[in-house]
Amino acid sequence: MTQTEIRTPPRSPVAGPAAESVVRPGGNAVDRGRKRLFVPFVGPAFLLYTVLFVGPALYAVWISFNKWAGAGPMEFVGFGNYVRLFSDKLFIQSFLNTLLLLFVVGIAIFVIAFGLTLVLRDMAGKKIARSVIFFPHLVNAMIFGVLAGFIFNPAGLVNTMLGGLGVEDPPAWLSQDNLFPLIMVMMTWITTGYFTTILMAGVDRIPPYYYEDCALAGANAFQRLRYVILPLTWDVFGTCAVLWTISSVKIFEIVWVFGGSTGQGMPPTQTWTTAVYTYVTAFSGESVPAYGAATASAVLSLALVSVLVLLLRRVMKREAVEF
Amino acid sequence: MTTTELATRVMTVPEAARGRRRRGAAIGHERSLLRGIGLVLLWAFVVLNIAWMVWMVIQAFRDTRSILSDPWGLPTSLDPVNFVTAWTVGDFAIATANSVATTLVSSLLTVAIAAPAAYYLARVENRMTNSLTVYFVLGLGIPAQVIVIPLFVMLNEVYLTDSLVGLNLVYVGVSMPFTVFLLIAFFRSLPLELEEAAALDGLTAFGTFWRITLPLAKGGILTAFVLQVISHWNETLLALTLLQSTEKYTLPVALISFIQQQTYSGADWGGLFAGLCIVVIPMLVIYLWLGRRLTEGLTLGMGK
Repeated sequence: MTQTEIRTPPRSPVAGPAAESVVRPGGNAVDRGRKRLFVPFVGPAFLLYTVLFVGPALYAVWISFNKWAGAGPMEFVGFGNYVRLFSDKLFIQSFLNTLLLLFVVGIAIFVIAFGLTLVLRDMAGKKIARSVIFFPHLVNAMIFGVLAGFIFNPAGLVNTMLGGLGVEDPPAWLSQDNLFPLIMVMMTWITTGYFTTILMAGVDRIPPYYYEDCALAGANAFQRLRYVILPLTWDVFGTCAVLWTISSVKIFEIVWVFGGSTGQGMPPTQTWTTAVYTYVTAFSGESVPAYGAATASAVLSLALVSVLVLLLRRVMKREAVEF
Repeated sequence: MTTTELATRVMTVPEAARGRRRRGAAIGHERSLLRGIGLVLLWAFVVLNIAWMVWMVIQAFRDTRSILSDPWGLPTSLDPVNFVTAWTVGDFAIATANSVATTLVSSLLTVAIAAPAAYYLARVENRMTNSLTVYFVLGLGIPAQVIVIPLFVMLNEVYLTDSLVGLNLVYVGVSMPFTVFLLIAFFRSLPLELEEAAALDGLTAFGTFWRITLPLAKGGILTAFVLQVISHWNETLLALTLLQSTEKYTLPVALISFIQQQTYSGADWGGLFAGLCIVVIPMLVIYLWLGRRLTEGLTLGMGK
């Protein structure tokens, strides 16, 4: 969510009377009264946010240019940490995994969510169905990581079910190479409902007379999709894409515990994302913590988010259809 | 588009024309193969989303050996022995207390601090408030792993690591962007006339906010509060980093440590499922209670 949405909430005719009646310098009495509230009202939020969020973010950029073990002196190395990261196989793997989550899972989510939206649009019981598929969004993703360990373990749900169907030799689901694809499937499952709800909110806003027009003009289902539904929900798609970009880069918990107690305190490296890489590099306690490299990895994911969000805004930018 | 609409439509159409009309109208139900498949898949998905919860609760009442021998089985008794184990051995009791306290305190503080700021930014429009709004919203794009190391270092300086006070402060700071953003949108949707009337009647600017706008905004503020409750209850990365001693753990961290203990002591699936239930069920209760409001809050301004 970036600046796009700041402008999008409906601006009720708020600014109207108060702002237009500015005659005296400093505005009318109401405005002046309000302006006196600036420090007590905005101050605390501004201070906390700056000290505990923006400050650390800027500090992170600075740390990423240094070699630092957390204690002792920092040694300025410029872009050394970033150069090191790209020669580190582990980091490359983590970064690729993050990209896989972002793009492959992202595309899967959007295709499924949009399909579900079209089915849900005029279905009996759509409210119940919507509410149910939304719920996983409110649950810690970790839960699904733990459950996966149970669903896929050698004597677990999936294998007993396959056994019942006559499959004698099921794949080793929880072998280290198969974990990441499973994580991708689980992520698709738990995120699809959320995006379906957002897309539904967009589709629901399309006034019914557009569909009536389609019917009169003899449009078939595909034409209706192409010429009515898609253009009118385009901006919602854009918002969803931005939301997914931001949240996919943070994925950590589900990877950390995926498959239950599989690892010795940390997940196998095949499943790492950049967030896991950052955490392990700084806090694993098994080697000298490399705060510089760890923050550099985090800053790179921030850069990835920023670039993609800017690109998305450019690509998705269209004449907004007023209706 | 809705069924009621369809119903009224059908009622006004003469009996003979009804069949044709239903097939032809785009707003009616279309019966195509693709749609049929879609419906089946959708309901399968819905069932899956209910099944995992039912299944999780059922397993929480069984012991590890029977879970492993037959993952589809039903419990033989409703003995909450797993919950007792999780509660006593797994340190879930203290973790639950920590989680409840942290979640409530930090969410209350978040809303109490964000609401006035959002009110000001929504009502006063000039170049400064516009750039402040952008400043707050930019935070939405910063992933938590960027700030986790600097926060650890900074809090360590002031002895606030491994402390619930520190964690609360961090949660409040980190939640500012979303809450301010949500409440700005909300305050803008409230009518201005009442506030003007109050001001004409001689109420001060603060009085207007306190006695007119806040009561009007109760619904939106409650939504913002509950959304924070959900996100703080589930937050894992920051808690995992900032808390080190067992008696400070929040639930997600306790769950992780419980899983890691099992690597050495052998898996206790029953206890683990009980732990999962303790994490999930409060969210389910909140959702059943305030579901619609939450969905709207999470999609507010995004569908626009």
